[in-house]
Amino acid sequence: MGNSVIVRRLGLLAVLALCVVLLALVPYLPSYYVRVADSILIYIILAVGLNLVVGYAGLLDLGFIAFYAVGAYAYALLASGQFDIHLPFIVVLFIGAAAGAIAGVLLGFPVLKLRGDYLAIVTLSFGEIIRIAINNADELTNGPQGIAGLDRASLFGLPLTSPVHFYWLLLVLTVIVCAGVYYMERSILGKAWRALREDQDVVRGLGINTTTLKLLAFALSAAIGGAGGVIFGAFQRFVSPESFTFQESLLVVLIIIIGGVGNIVGVIAGAVVLVILPEILHFAAQYRLLIYGVVLVTVIVLRPGGLVSPRFNLGFIIRKVRTLWLSPSKT
Amino acid sequence: MALALENVSKHFGSLVAIRNLSLSFDVGSIYSIIGPNGAGKSTVVNMIAGSYSVTSGTIRLGATALNRLPKHRIAQLGVSRTYQNLRLFDGMTVLENLEVCFFPQSWLTFLTGAKRLSKAERLDICHACLAEFHLSDVADVLAGDLPYGRQKILELARAFVTQAPIVLLDEPAAGLNHTETKDMAAMIAGLKREDRAIILVEHDMDMVMSISDRIDVLNYGELLCSGTPDLVRTNERVQEAYLGTTEELDDIRKLAQSRRAQGGLRANAGIVRH
Repeated sequence: MGNSVIVRRLGLLAVLALCVVLLALVPYLPSYYVRVADSILIYIILAVGLNLVVGYAGLLDLGFIAFYAVGAYAYALLASGQFDIHLPFIVVLFIGAAAGAIAGVLLGFPVLKLRGDYLAIVTLSFGEIIRIAINNADELTNGPQGIAGLDRASLFGLPLTSPVHFYWLLLVLTVIVCAGVYYMERSILGKAWRALREDQDVVRGLGINTTTLKLLAFALSAAIGGAGGVIFGAFQRFVSPESFTFQESLLVVLIIIIGGVGNIVGVIAGAVVLVILPEILHFAAQYRLLIYGVVLVTVIVLRPGGLVSPRFNLGFIIRKVRTLWLSPSKT
Repeated sequence: MALALENVSKHFGSLVAIRNLSLSFDVGSIYSIIGPNGAGKSTVVNMIAGSYSVTSGTIRLGATALNRLPKHRIAQLGVSRTYQNLRLFDGMTVLENLEVCFFPQSWLTFLTGAKRLSKAERLDICHACLAEFHLSDVADVLAGDLPYGRQKILELARAFVTQAPIVLLDEPAAGLNHTETKDMAAMIAGLKREDRAIILVEHDMDMVMSISDRIDVLNYGELLCSGTPDLVRTNERVQEAYLGTTEELDDIRKLAQSRRAQGGLRANAGIVRH
């Protein structure tokens, strides 16, 4: 074993240690930074979820935030004084995910035959329909006033009250979601989705039911969105239709496009950039959309594939680490 | 198992692409469907595979009527195909292009894992297939990065990897050069098996004549002639359909001679050469 291998291994250890230390240090920062970190993690979860549909299956969904709303309102209705139902957080988390999945299939069915622009238009409308429905269902949702005073969440007896608590919860959930999606990406299901993105007719010609395949993508992606929504509800302890506008859907799509379509590492990078950017440019809040536009155009012109190269994905990193550790001679 | 077309017709609006066609394909042989452009060859393939609906008549695989089934069901029953224009999954590796064929075919198998190949079994089959088609060295290369000839072979491999009893090959030699075409012909001939029918639509006559057990000639959507390569080669109606009648040929010759006699024109100008 040569010196260079030891140096490379130490370097790798240093990078990993740095990541862990940085993530572990976040809770000691002032509350504002922890909130930003929470926000980043929520958007990572949402974007990784949406990426199943947009990045892998190649179906442009512009109404993703509707599933997030479904999850958030699931918590608002099932864990608040609204109907005096007080289910535990963990139960609502699963209910929210299931409700999201059902909403995903409900959206999936009518749009099965649509592709490209038409699909984008219908999903966009779906997102708006959900928001407007919530806005008008006064008896159920209090309409535009929203539902306030949601239950303080707790998980296995541990209270989830401060941004720091949610930081840990979100961090764990982000890792679970990323690992789950990475596993799916590598499985035959992920391969079938990528094939679907390339040529739907040929996929059918191979004996694969593309209806099932698409609905599965919509359902899984929406379930992740729903779970994210439940956490959002528990975190804010207040929900109103305003949080689920088309802009939010657009932001999640932008995270994917700017980070790198179909690439978990890219999506993480995209979420970090697009959440931090408006915070840094706080003084120019009214120009937020303009800034997004400029960033999007710049990225598309300079790096059409997204900030992170498609080759630099989770699989690449895992392979790199594994070969360096198990058989360094090959690297 | 046998595939049978029974009085099949296909209309595109007022155009009759296939008229009352009856054909039967048994496993164990290689069949070729030939005919001039527009004769309806690809239409037949697309109807069998379920890409086109049938206007009237029935297509049967064994006892099952295929023509009311969705395309993926037809494929699941054992009909696989290649396409006239290459249709690989370009952004996926060569190996992945084959792996996708083993996606679980129903919710039940997907959820329970029953009758489902394990990942190792799946990979074994795919690697064996790659070896058979001389693609092992490029297993991890993106399909879109392969040279054209090897992409054609990969598409062939994808049609055979699941051991489908009926394999439809839509112009496997299109775009290949002379040597590649000969290799392709040898490869297809080598894929003939007792439990498999290979149905070829092809323009390259050398290939068709050398590997087919039976040739079906279509003209204007009707069966002109059907039989062994020798029989088809000498059939006058086939020659007419392809080359025109002898009178027409004579006319062309006369025209050419008169032009030549006029001088000023190059000797072969205006002649349709075959």
